[in-house]
Amino acid sequence: MKLITLLLISLQLFAYPQISESIKEKQLYPMGKKIHTKKCPSLTKDSYQTYDALLLDIEQRSICGTLSKKHSEALALYLWDKEKAHSTHYKKITVTKDEKCQVCGMYLHYYPTWVSQINYPNAESYKFDGIKDMMKFYFNNEEGIVDILVQDYYTLETINAREAYYVTGSDVLGPMGNELIAFKDAKSAKTFLLEHNGKHLYRFDALSEKMVRALD
Amino acid sequence: MIELKNVVKKYANGVVAIEDLSLKLNRGELIVLKGVSGSGKSTILSLIAGLSKPSSGDIVVDDKHISKLPDHFAAAFRRDNIGFIFQKYNLISSLSVAENILLPLYPLNLPKEELEPRLQEVLNSLSIEDKRDRKVKDLSGGEQQRVAIARASINNPNIILADEPTANLDEKLSLAFIKMLEGLKASNRTVVVATHDPLFFDLESVDRVIEIRDGKVV
Amino acid sequence: MTLLVALVATTLFIADSMKAEYKQDIQTAPDIVVSAQKALRYKTIDETQAARFLEIDGVSNAIPRVWGEYYFAKGNVRFKIVGLDEFENSTNSTLNRLRDRLSYDTNMMLLSPKVKAILNKNYYKDYFNFILQDGTLLRVNISQKSIAIPSIRDEYLIVMPKELARKIFAYADNEATDIAVSVKNSEEIAFSARKIAALLGNAKISIKDDLIVEYEQMYNYRSGFFLTIFIITFFTFFVIIYDRLSGLNSEQKREIGILKAIGWRVEDVLKTKLYEGLIISLFSYSLGIILAMVYTFIFNGGILKNIFLSSSRLLEHVPLQFHLDYATLALLFLISVPLYICATIIPSWIAATVDADEVMR
Repeated sequence: MKLITLLLISLQLFAYPQISESIKEKQLYPMGKKIHTKKCPSLTKDSYQTYDALLLDIEQRSICGTLSKKHSEALALYLWDKEKAHSTHYKKITVTKDEKCQVCGMYLHYYPTWVSQINYPNAESYKFDGIKDMMKFYFNNEEGIVDILVQDYYTLETINAREAYYVTGSDVLGPMGNELIAFKDAKSAKTFLLEHNGKHLYRFDALSEKMVRALD
Repeated sequence: MIELKNVVKKYANGVVAIEDLSLKLNRGELIVLKGVSGSGKSTILSLIAGLSKPSSGDIVVDDKHISKLPDHFAAAFRRDNIGFIFQKYNLISSLSVAENILLPLYPLNLPKEELEPRLQEVLNSLSIEDKRDRKVKDLSGGEQQRVAIARASINNPNIILADEPTANLDEKLSLAFIKMLEGLKASNRTVVVATHDPLFFDLESVDRVIEIRDGKVV
Repeated sequence: MTLLVALVATTLFIADSMKAEYKQDIQTAPDIVVSAQKALRYKTIDETQAARFLEIDGVSNAIPRVWGEYYFAKGNVRFKIVGLDEFENSTNSTLNRLRDRLSYDTNMMLLSPKVKAILNKNYYKDYFNFILQDGTLLRVNISQKSIAIPSIRDEYLIVMPKELARKIFAYADNEATDIAVSVKNSEEIAFSARKIAALLGNAKISIKDDLIVEYEQMYNYRSGFFLTIFIITFFTFFVIIYDRLSGLNSEQKREIGILKAIGWRVEDVLKTKLYEGLIISLFSYSLGIILAMVYTFIFNGGILKNIFLSSSRLLEHVPLQFHLDYATLALLFLISVPLYICATIIPSWIAATVDADEVMR
């Protein structure tokens, strides 16, 4: 009886912590990654059955040097969840001083956070100063597209446009006025919709030429 | 050849310097314009040089109607044809002797090789080559006058005009000056001297003495 | 002419130099800095608040910072201490570099040359004893290396592990000086700041945008301050030019008359005057610039610098960095040289077109 209680208690001590995704993504994983790279790049979670065991080793047996509690947890979480890391990482969309929007001709380097891109085979690609202009182009040039890339509004990560969520009618205006704002997940899209008085939330397939033109 | 035809010169303040004057001067002549200060003889020199324009009448020098020349061409005319020796020398005191002498040729941008021999010749003929780099303000009156003469001859002008050239010179220097003028005349140049110095009136070399009084030929 | 150019040049140089530094400061500043207040006065903030900020979508990072000042009595000087965590990223790349140079296992800190010097003078060579709040001493070792350039406006800078800084400031485990918040999309900064304000109520929130506005006010050429200086300078210039335009003196007029008499055309006179003017103004300009540079960078701007500093509450005593802005040089050139040349040529032109004969009478 006592043994079981002890076991239960010890399990609780190191149970996988309840931490929000945001904190993990924004702070703990990057920190853990840094620690991993700097102090014990060869360490993996492969030989561990449970998160607790991994954390125990890190904290008590210092398999990655002496780390404070906070650092240890960050490292453990990073290692444990590393599989969950983004599968496809798109490269950041960059623009040079002379690149212009394919549809409206404006110089793109003034609006780096709004640039979107369509890639065709043979390294043919076009950039736009907003998703609205990009969609205008898209509806007339759908054949042969390899990827369509947009930037998530909050994090500026490059994401796959076909999997993204779009909000229209908000108070955030792009270089071409009313815009489609892109998000990598439904949650942040909904937050934005509420906070910035957005009117509609769409997925990529629901976008039509008529509706895009109506934004002008 | 220099010709003045019915020339009238009135100044802005109403003074009439020359009244209906006509003159003819031939090439190679040494002419003396005799008259007191204010008689208008200096004005005649100015007119011949194209330094001023007549109020009416015509001035022809070597077939050029210089009275009608615009300023730009008048200056060029002076540069190419006239050597003027002013009463007050009108040298630029902050410059050296050599610089003053070469001034008329400066805008022509001639190369050193051309300028140097001409400069030497003129310096030697006036015996001032040792003063070449001295600032003009450090020279005596007589030396300055020689510089003025040198400047007037550096451009090999056909016509030499001298306004009261001996006013500040003693007799010895005055005679030396006259000798120089005679030398110039010998090289077939026209020399016109405006003066009231009696030394000029009885010279053999003088072809004509023209008396000017109140702007008219006497 | 030279002095005038020097004066203006100095002003502009100082301004440019400080502008460059300030710009640098802004670039390294976090998007939002959140600090706590009690009775509208500064108070330390609870670092667990950072977790709440991270929940905001626009926020990409929230780092609790530990930094402050320590008064070194013997040397009568205040040190700025910045605590760094081995695995945290600052927005300031210099700090990040320093972070990597710290050794976190031993009790060690990095000093800027001035701090090293003053500690040395007081016989602290390999270590220093900080006097803690409770009166006890904390011995911290001094690193052999030192902070290369105190380009940040801190001459007396000490960088050390966060935990050591905490001890010196007697911070509790979750206390921080402030929280530096980063927002990836600049469009969201203001909005995120408002959300933070909503979360905390009593906090003081300063946004990078505000710094930029302040910077613009100081250094924007359209701002009142610069305008004043410009007006004074231009006015002086015009006085000079007017003086020249009102004609040459009789000596100069006479000389031009002589030149005309011996056969110089108007264009010849002007050409010479042009060369003359060009040489003088170019010489004045160069000399003026050199004087200004010497004054600004070697003598550190002296009095003029204080004109700028006193109107900015942010800047402290700083050695001005050598910074040459070509736009400024060009501006100075365009102001001084052509104006001077015009001032010289125009009266000459007027004098030269007068009847030469008149001049000599």
